[in-house]
Amino acid sequence: MVTGVGEVLVVGLGSPDRGDDAVGPVVARRVASLGLAGVRVLAHEDPTDLVESMTGASAVVVVDAVWSPGSTPGQLVVLETGDGAAPLPEDAWERTGRGGTHAFGLASAVELARALRRLPPRVVLVGVVASTFEHGAGLSPAVRAAVEPAVATIRAALER
Amino acid sequence: MSHKLRDGGQVMHVGTLARVEGEGAMHIELRDGKVETVQLRIYEPPRFYEAFLRGRAYTEPPDITARICGICPVAYQTSSCWAMEDACGVSVPEAIRLMRRLLYCGEWIESHALHMFLLHTPDFLGYESAIAMAADHPAVVESALRMKKAGNDLMDVVGGRSVHPINVRLGGFYRMPTVAELRAVRPKLERALDEALAAMPLLASFDFPEMEQPYEYLALRSAAGYPIESGDVVTSAGKAFRVQEFTQHIEEQHVEHSNALHATLDGGGPYVVGPLARYTLNYDRLSPLAQETARAAGLGETCRNPFRSLLVRGVELVEAYHEALRIIDGWVDGVPPSVPVPARAGEGFGASEAPRGVLFHRYVIDDAGIIQDAQIVPPTSQNQPSIEADLRTMVEMWTELDDHALSHRCEQAIRNYDPCISCATHFLDLTVDRR
Repeated sequence: MVTGVGEVLVVGLGSPDRGDDAVGPVVARRVASLGLAGVRVLAHEDPTDLVESMTGASAVVVVDAVWSPGSTPGQLVVLETGDGAAPLPEDAWERTGRGGTHAFGLASAVELARALRRLPPRVVLVGVVASTFEHGAGLSPAVRAAVEPAVATIRAALER
Repeated sequence: MSHKLRDGGQVMHVGTLARVEGEGAMHIELRDGKVETVQLRIYEPPRFYEAFLRGRAYTEPPDITARICGICPVAYQTSSCWAMEDACGVSVPEAIRLMRRLLYCGEWIESHALHMFLLHTPDFLGYESAIAMAADHPAVVESALRMKKAGNDLMDVVGGRSVHPINVRLGGFYRMPTVAELRAVRPKLERALDEALAAMPLLASFDFPEMEQPYEYLALRSAAGYPIESGDVVTSAGKAFRVQEFTQHIEEQHVEHSNALHATLDGGGPYVVGPLARYTLNYDRLSPLAQETARAAGLGETCRNPFRSLLVRGVELVEAYHEALRIIDGWVDGVPPSVPVPARAGEGFGASEAPRGVLFHRYVIDDAGIIQDAQIVPPTSQNQPSIEADLRTMVEMWTELDDHALSHRCEQAIRNYDPCISCATHFLDLTVDRR
């Protein structure tokens, strides 16, 4: 388990009603059901709120759908950053499901938190490559199959 | 992408503007410094929902349509409730209207605080993004996050969640928040109101490009209070009609370049909905505090400069905090959370003022309450022709700018409307061929 003064936070990002965009909240709910000690689990649709939620945490794991043409749906993409680490590149995660219009993308939320000196020492971003963001659709089979591997990846990250 | 025209003209095409709230692209053609074509291409979700709603139960639209937009779910819930209650011949009590108004204040606060300080202000302070701005102006951004958070907290206590509230139903709410719960949010709202007032001098000091929109303005207007959750329709040309007559005046047309329908008012030119229209048509309905805030910021009783919409949103943000506090202070426990809304065959109409303008819903249901027809007219499709007209005016003023600067100015022109398409600069991918 990550040690630190603050708590460890796991956040699932995404809309529950936009196809594979729901994978963030679905994975977060699975992690919550494990009842891990010292771990707080949240589901958010708006990455801006992430700046507030991660403040004071010792580590944050964010799980979200990513749009990555050419990659295999269900594939996991793991990025690590944190206070003191290099900023994420400008285009990192810009195509996540919530990187929307008047909303902030995930990368923006992380970099805004860094600029405000609120970024936890360790931030792990777990992306699940999505195949559909259709309104009203559920998870695609490939992404549904990636839920347990994503949970395992988060557990492994929490134990490092 | 961009490509050259055979006769030496110039095509500017801004690719994907966004993903989730709606997708869009911008396409501008210049010939000899003159704008030939301006097309804002928007791919909006409401069309999908209109088809999706047919055959569903009349109780479902508040939950289903709230999914259309992550930023303004309360607008969709409120307009759909008004429309379905209208179809069923039900009027909700004043207390339920007030609680809808309070929930709606939370949405205005969230949306305006985000747009004003994290998306719009960087344009005027000369930053590419709020992230770059935060390094030099951390206090502005910290304050903005607190102001927005007060809206989230209000949505939490009234709506059950800060995004996509779950407490709204036809006829009212599943559960009314208690006086004690509402009072607990009060200190945060008071502090946020103070911060909004304190931020206004900075916003008023910005250098706003001179531009006056000639278009007709359309907004809701009520017997009392600034239009938020309800009202009848008025326009700057002196028209006034009930929401039930909306479709007699507003016509939606397909245009080839976009799958968003273009709306026209009585067959005329572009019309504008949103903060400038609300303010210009309802200045006298603002609280004395908000009017004083407007005067101190240098605003008159009308405002037709789209860049100054930043200040008007600031006035509306003050009004939203003030109004939320007023409703909380007057609230008493024991109000029934909802009234019954039994189904009957009919057609119903509803409208409310989403943060970015009038959102209209119309439903036809049968005796069993099954939806036969649904129509949703969102603010962005109403503003699309005027956004294009603004771009046409501005691009002609700015043809001397280089590609990067021109692209950024066009984004700003679009951002003035806070439309449901991308405002995120890092999504814009522009190349221009010049000859």
